[in-house]
Amino acid sequence: MPEAVQVQLKRGVLELCVLALLSRADAYAYDIAARLAAAIDMGEGTIYPLMRRMQSDGLVDTYLVESSSGPPRKYYRLTPAGRNSLAAQKAEWVSFSVAVGEILGDEK
Amino acid sequence: MSRELFLGRLRTGLAGLPPETIDDYVADYAAHFDEGVAAGRSEADVMAGLGDPGRLARELKAEAGLKRWETERNPSSAATAIFGLLGLGAIDVLIILPILLPVLGVILGFAITSVVGFGAGAFVFVLGPLAGAIRDIGAAMLAGLGVMAGSVSVGALTALVTVGLVNALVWYGRLHLKLLKPALEAQEVRS
Repeated sequence: MPEAVQVQLKRGVLELCVLALLSRADAYAYDIAARLAAAIDMGEGTIYPLMRRMQSDGLVDTYLVESSSGPPRKYYRLTPAGRNSLAAQKAEWVSFSVAVGEILGDEK
Repeated sequence: MSRELFLGRLRTGLAGLPPETIDDYVADYAAHFDEGVAAGRSEADVMAGLGDPGRLARELKAEAGLKRWETERNPSSAATAIFGLLGLGAIDVLIILPILLPVLGVILGFAITSVVGFGAGAFVFVLGPLAGAIRDIGAAMLAGLGVMAGSVSVGALTALVTVGLVNALVWYGRLHLKLLKPALEAQEVRS
């Protein structure tokens, strides 16, 4: 698969992945970046502009938690709008991937 | 490249944003280094994971520009938003300029018409009755007022169209940011 297509696919679902991670537990940016980098091989740097955008879109908000080592950590949590967006995007993703799966399956 | 150099380049790239916003953004990446090193990674490894600070800065800046345009509609924020997208290559200058220039020319024409028309209306309104070119003073003043009102409405329509145009550009740029841009990035990585 051409590299460009792969990057586009990942970029498209990055927000969905972040929403899904945060729906399980609040997290700080490094944690989110490291987990996504390991799971879907995303550049870690791209997570910060994304978190900014999601925050200004009202999908997530932040709070500070004192850390045992170093300065307090900024944690992200889903807002109600974020939960709605997750549900909507997840439904879209599932129906889309089922449809694509069927088409790919027929080609065998 | 050291961590300080990376953060320095990021800061340089963000120049033009409000100082507190820059501090905020840079603090994100400083914290990322701290966390990475605390997790046992080398600074070089963390930096490789983050990518080019100049590109990150352009991306953050474009995002900030778009947000500002959404909250305050004025020529300066429109310029910031559009130049931010241009900087990212989200709007292709060569494709957009031939379309944009005539449109900008027409808009400018309408804006000038509106201003000149208002001036002419004011002229008739004030001097018409004195000059006595039109016998009825009331008619002269009314005619002046009418021309001024017409000019104001042309001006208002022009402003509305301009706001719509910038919105369309921003929408177009965002779409490309999501779809085309990663393809460009991938090429940069390969080359």
